[in-house]
Amino acid sequence: MIKDISLGRFYDTGSILHKADPRVKIILYIVYLIAIFMINTAGGLALFAIVTILQVILASIPMKVIRSTVLPVLPIVIFIFLINLFTIKTGNTLWEWKVFSITDYAVSRAVLMALRLLFLIVSTSILLTLTTTPLKIADALESLFSPLKLIKVPVHEMAMMMSIALRFIPTLIDETNKIMRAQISRGADYDTGSLVKRVKGYVTVLIPLFVSSFKRAEELAVAMDARCYRGGVGRTKLNPLKLKKSDISLGTVFVLIAAGIVVIDFVLR
Amino acid sequence: MCETAKLIEAKDVVFSYHSDDGEGYDSPAIRGLDIDIAQGEYVAFLGPNGSGKSTLAKLIDVLEVPNEGKITVFGCDTTDPLHFWTIRENCAVVFQNPDNQIVGTTVEEDVAFGPENLGIPNPELRNRVDDALKVTGLFTKRKLPAASLSGGQKQKLAIAGALAMDPKLLILDESTAMLDPVSRDEFLALVEMMHRDKGVTVVSITHDMDEAARCERVFVIKDGKVAGKGTPSEIFKNSELIKSAGLERPAHYRFLSATEEITGIKIPENVDINSREAASRLASEMILEAVKTKGPVDLRKKEKNDKAGNTILEVKDLSFGYDESTLALKDINLEVRKGEILAIVGRTGCGKTTLISHFNALIAPQKGEVIIHTETGDYKTSNKKDKMTIRSKIGLVFQYPEYQLFEESVYKDIQYGLIRMGVPSEKHEKRIKEAISLVGIDESVLKKSPFELSGGQKRRVAMAGVLVMRPSILVLDEPASGLDPHGRKEMFKIIHNLRENGTTVIIVTHNMDEAAVNADRICCIKDGRIISVTSPEEMFSDYSKCKSMGIDIPKITSFSRKVRHMIRETVPDIKVDDISFDPRESCELLFNAALKYGGGRS
Repeated sequence: MIKDISLGRFYDTGSILHKADPRVKIILYIVYLIAIFMINTAGGLALFAIVTILQVILASIPMKVIRSTVLPVLPIVIFIFLINLFTIKTGNTLWEWKVFSITDYAVSRAVLMALRLLFLIVSTSILLTLTTTPLKIADALESLFSPLKLIKVPVHEMAMMMSIALRFIPTLIDETNKIMRAQISRGADYDTGSLVKRVKGYVTVLIPLFVSSFKRAEELAVAMDARCYRGGVGRTKLNPLKLKKSDISLGTVFVLIAAGIVVIDFVLR
Repeated sequence: MCETAKLIEAKDVVFSYHSDDGEGYDSPAIRGLDIDIAQGEYVAFLGPNGSGKSTLAKLIDVLEVPNEGKITVFGCDTTDPLHFWTIRENCAVVFQNPDNQIVGTTVEEDVAFGPENLGIPNPELRNRVDDALKVTGLFTKRKLPAASLSGGQKQKLAIAGALAMDPKLLILDESTAMLDPVSRDEFLALVEMMHRDKGVTVVSITHDMDEAARCERVFVIKDGKVAGKGTPSEIFKNSELIKSAGLERPAHYRFLSATEEITGIKIPENVDINSREAASRLASEMILEAVKTKGPVDLRKKEKNDKAGNTILEVKDLSFGYDESTLALKDINLEVRKGEILAIVGRTGCGKTTLISHFNALIAPQKGEVIIHTETGDYKTSNKKDKMTIRSKIGLVFQYPEYQLFEESVYKDIQYGLIRMGVPSEKHEKRIKEAISLVGIDESVLKKSPFELSGGQKRRVAMAGVLVMRPSILVLDEPASGLDPHGRKEMFKIIHNLRENGTTVIIVTHNMDEAAVNADRICCIKDGRIISVTSPEEMFSDYSKCKSMGIDIPKITSFSRKVRHMIRETVPDIKVDDISFDPRESCELLFNAALKYGGGRS
């Protein structure tokens, strides 16, 4: 059965990062995203790790939560690591067996790629999902993309759809678990057998899940209608986004740190 | 707004979800309906599933407009686009499923959703949200994710969302159907507070008769028409109307009718028996009056189930926790006897579902064990090898099982378990037919898609999908939830039939009345511990013990207790040495007891 997926789950500790303007966090996130992929040296990576740990401390999110965020994606990280390890053929060969070979360059690339992905996940959750409610992320995106309204892009509607999708993740996980328990009681087995068999088995979960999701969507639409939802025009906000001085300084500091790391990394090359 | 005395007025309303095909509307949900509701009223719409009650709510809130006839709300015609927002902005609806009406991610964001749409500026918006949260007791949880709340809290959140919109009209569309009794009472208290303190008009659509009895006026809706209207007292006295609409009367009404039958004294027309206080006084007077003239009445022989035999399922010292800090189950010891109906009762979150998930090895015990005794030997759920055997011996039907259907035809869906359990395919057809006859479904349904069936039929099909494995124990989690009174009765008929056929049945429920009437034994769970396992008679005869343990009392028991107290004022040493959960039997017991101790004296 599906365990807690913390991706998309808000974890409130009331830290500086939680209180920061989500727009600043999104911009920072993009900056760090670019920075991660510009870094190539061990020194740069080490500095980046320090900054990431600093962010975790700043957000005062317990290690337990970070671990449960990282664990579900660990298989992908390992997969990327292995792909890089065995496919890169340049450099001095360290080990060879039949068609498989590992080179020193492949090892360093594989480590780099795996760590990049790991930092990416931690940054995503620290800067966005764990410290920012989905509704705020949607608000921020709506605000950042609002110039697009001029060319008739339905920015508000897209933001609303996104926040509802995120809001329903935990509900649908619960639902999935319930359906799985019911089918297991009827003899379903999701843990053993060949991959094809297992994927086929999931039909018994997916169909009920789709059916109930459509029903939920319909009911939610009626409920939103009844609560007078009529698009973004004339809508007020309980917690409107306000850019504070502290947000600007937080943003500046972290952008400078990112730039610093990239520069140092460049020098180290 | 267009001011009139009538808040809602509907005249000759016809509405169909299908479009006009030139020859009138196909199977209309509402067919010529008239209602009128005054400002500040608290009314209930009662009626069987599919009678058009919920459609009516949608018509009032302009979520749909009538095909024919006219509805005016706040004096405005609902078809007039000019008044569309006037009506909707002053009208709040709380729907049945708590999960499907929460839009906001955190509690306070959700409460704010409605007023935000209305364009309420800050700081008024903030004040409204905070006030609504304080009134509903959710203020301390305002920053939490809405998904982390319990079902009862989610419905309170919906009420808070409604409160923050400051509506003139509140519509409850089966809002309490998915709540346990405690949450239900808390929810209704909030609604009644809005009605009383803010003068909000409340329209409550419900299957719960006790809930309807709390209202000022009741409309009985049947086949898209108003079949009757009046005060709860008028409606519930009309037994023909109640029967024809597939409803059921609250316990004290049934008790009084039984009293009338036994004593031969008519219930006076002028007494309002909607209040339990008045009703119990009346019942005691009728009984005492009749005691003077009548001899004892024959007590109906109670059918005791003596079939219960050896232990079939044994739980030994079972403890289980989802995380290290808190245990969901603590030292559970339970023996289920062959052929009995055992009810497991307790409040939401007490560990009931965790316990039954242990029965068929969905959860392996962390400490202690669960053993299934069968003719072919004993099976332990901790033994991975026996999992499949155990799952075919113990059928588990979860709450709302209709959500697990997935195949293209009913036949194939029921067949799924047989295939999984490796039953030879030549036996399938016979077993499937046997299973659907057990749940009372016609064979013609087998070819249909499960998704085109009605809610009640879907549930039966889902049950058949478990019964097809011929389990010796059937575990049902809230089998009757969300069904109307008729559907509930049918469900328990099925359950009793199964028992007649030799199946041991375990029902998980929070409805004490149904547990008391249907179960041979009741197992009461509180905070992960079993606090009592006895027959319902034994359990509820000690009122103070139940109270101290926090066990809810069936409505009929608490009412007959009230009557007994009233009788005691005249006959101080009355003793009733038996207990029954049937209104008629309860009345007979009281009557004979009163006769024994007081009849001779007066």
